[in-house]
Amino acid sequence: MSTLHVLSHSPFGDSRFTSCLRVLGEQDALLLCGDATYALQPGSSPFERLQAAGLNLFVLAEDLQARALDTPDWAEAINYAGFVELSIEHDKVNTWL
Amino acid sequence: MAKSLLLISRQAPWSGPSAREALDIVLAGGAFDLPIGLLFLDDGVLQLASGQNAKALQQKDLSANLQALPMFGVEDLYVCADSAAERGVATAALALDELNILSAPQIAALIDRYDQVITL
Amino acid sequence: MAAVLLIGSVMKFAIALFSAAHAPSSRRALLFAQAALAGGHEIVRLFFYQDGVYNAADSLVTPQDEQDLPQQWRAFVSDNQLDGVVCIAAALRRGVLNNEEAQRYQRSAVSVGAPWALSGLGQLHDAIQDADRLICFGGA
Repeated sequence: MSTLHVLSHSPFGDSRFTSCLRVLGEQDALLLCGDATYALQPGSSPFERLQAAGLNLFVLAEDLQARALDTPDWAEAINYAGFVELSIEHDKVNTWL
Repeated sequence: MAKSLLLISRQAPWSGPSAREALDIVLAGGAFDLPIGLLFLDDGVLQLASGQNAKALQQKDLSANLQALPMFGVEDLYVCADSAAERGVATAALALDELNILSAPQIAALIDRYDQVITL
Repeated sequence: MAAVLLIGSVMKFAIALFSAAHAPSSRRALLFAQAALAGGHEIVRLFFYQDGVYNAADSLVTPQDEQDLPQQWRAFVSDNQLDGVVCIAAALRRGVLNNEEAQRYQRSAVSVGAPWALSGLGQLHDAIQDADRLICFGGA
């Protein structure tokens, strides 16, 4: 069983980012969208944590583009069709509302 | 067989209707005899602090709804140990009986066990 | 391995929306829903809860140069003949009333109509039981 976790809040504002990383299972994946993509700001502490975590990391391409952020080589940028496919590849989706 | 649902409640009790509306999903599921679990995570653990006084803010008492969970057949209740410790909430004195105190790896396993998850 | 085998087959989605029409997550929900149908999948129900009920409100007026999400949701649900359910308790609390509820509570403002139906949380649980996947959108 695997879960696709989805974060959309800024990693700097509250406990979602930390709690999500804490309960992420080995088979799980993480999708960053909205302000959660600020976690891919190079030099930031979330960036370093994600890089060190070595997890299955996806990011919604439109949100990166809007924020002038790049996709690091340890993450994969996807569009909505990719989002739909990811939600199917995993057994469930846990969005951190 | 009915699909199971884990609701993860992350909201403090006095921050608007969010905690209550999360609980309403759980109670509705219980009323339909669906297999439902409830995990208190992050600020959600503050819902369980004892001795809270809803009247001070002219609010309805959320703890009455929490106490009703077993009557609605919702008996799988979980608390994140890290969240409680970070907020200085002693797990020995929580407002509900029969709570399972879980570590982070246990929560990962819990999420894995349920068919669907809602985190509010 | 089981998940891999499902790729290419039709999946049944339940989509729940928890944020107001102006939240980025509401637009994301619509684009996900459109992509799901475009991928040949099925949406068993859209369920609007908490501030998500505002996405069904006829009374929202979006500035002309901005995306009119409530209108796009209406068109999406109508064009694809989807089941769009708005939680009645959450809607009443936020002043989103259909004709029937406005009469029941003697209010002058009616702000939601077809294609939306006002109903209870049981409809969310029903959808979860029917669907292969529940996808929630909300917050930021």
